[in-house]
Amino acid sequence: MTYDVVIVGTGAAGLSAGLYTGRYRMTTLIIGDAFGGYTSIAGPIENYPGYRNIDGFDLMQNMRDQAVEASAQIIDGRVTTIEKNDAGFTVTTAKGEQYETRTVILATGTEHKRLELPNEKELTAKGVHYCVTCDGPLYGGKEIIVVGGGDASIKGVNLAAEYAKKIYLIVRGNKIKAEPINHEQMKKLGDKIEVLLETEVREILGAEKFEKVVLSKEYNGSRELAASGLFVEVGALPRSDVARSSGVELDARGYVKADVMMRTNVPGIFAAGDVMDLFQGFKQDITAACMGAVAATSAYAYFKSL
Amino acid sequence: MAQVVMYTTPTCGYCRMAKAFFKEHDVAFEEKDVAVDMEAREVMVKKSGQLGVPVITVDDAVIVGFDKGRLTQLLGL
Repeated sequence: MTYDVVIVGTGAAGLSAGLYTGRYRMTTLIIGDAFGGYTSIAGPIENYPGYRNIDGFDLMQNMRDQAVEASAQIIDGRVTTIEKNDAGFTVTTAKGEQYETRTVILATGTEHKRLELPNEKELTAKGVHYCVTCDGPLYGGKEIIVVGGGDASIKGVNLAAEYAKKIYLIVRGNKIKAEPINHEQMKKLGDKIEVLLETEVREILGAEKFEKVVLSKEYNGSRELAASGLFVEVGALPRSDVARSSGVELDARGYVKADVMMRTNVPGIFAAGDVMDLFQGFKQDITAACMGAVAATSAYAYFKSL
Repeated sequence: MAQVVMYTTPTCGYCRMAKAFFKEHDVAFEEKDVAVDMEAREVMVKKSGQLGVPVITVDDAVIVGFDKGRLTQLLGL
């Protein structure tokens, strides 16, 4: 069969798009390899309208159920190529499965940015971590370091504080860029949190497991800072390889370029969510869901015009 | 039937994904919260060579993270 739309990605943008295309009565297939995207590991979500406080995984399950109820079909898979053909596009997964479709919505999101330091890979999950909700509870009563001054980092600190004895927050810039409500919560931690502004991690040291970092400047008379764990929350990179290989234009940082109606430069291919940088770095579930709805609407309009 | 053990923490999203997967496929599993169960944590580190969750064992096979493809294969789903 030929689908009316294939949506690549099962995060907030992809599931929102699937809800709308399903309601537009487009035959819809959603393919993804990371259910729920970052939201599913984000812990409590308190800024998605309609939910005062909901776990990110639950929010994503609700979005998935709603999209399925609207007739979207969801499968696991990693899309590797999207090729143009006479009828539309052929979407191929890593396993070699192929799906024909009239339109495509790219909602592939982002992936964790690393510090890109020697030792980082070798010590990952041996004291170096990228998921506070997953591994933060393993550091009960310990001292840990969190790197990053954005909202995800501050939320991580607030969560880790439920377990850790002491948290050192390493921030490259001269201020914290978090939602004020999350920042306020962090300030309430008092002496438990030590913020090191305008400081970078230069080295990660440890043999069998993480032992300490070397900082760009001295703290308490030393450039070395020891801790039991190191959590890296320094932002994200767009997962735009599939977009690039299908001829979709990207910006200088690799984000998908699309207009305000989520139309890319390739007719029939639309984009949504964190794989785009439409709002100057502001990335939320509500923006992703909004972009998914708009992309679906544009895909529907395009489909009707065929 | 394979013996499945999952090492978890209370707030781990990938662990919840794994639990949902087991429920969907009616797979019985034993859960060990390594945030509080230090004995289980030692076993997990020994088996997986690392400290990160989830770790899932299917009989003697050890899976680090929620690898749906490998679980499907090992459980014959």
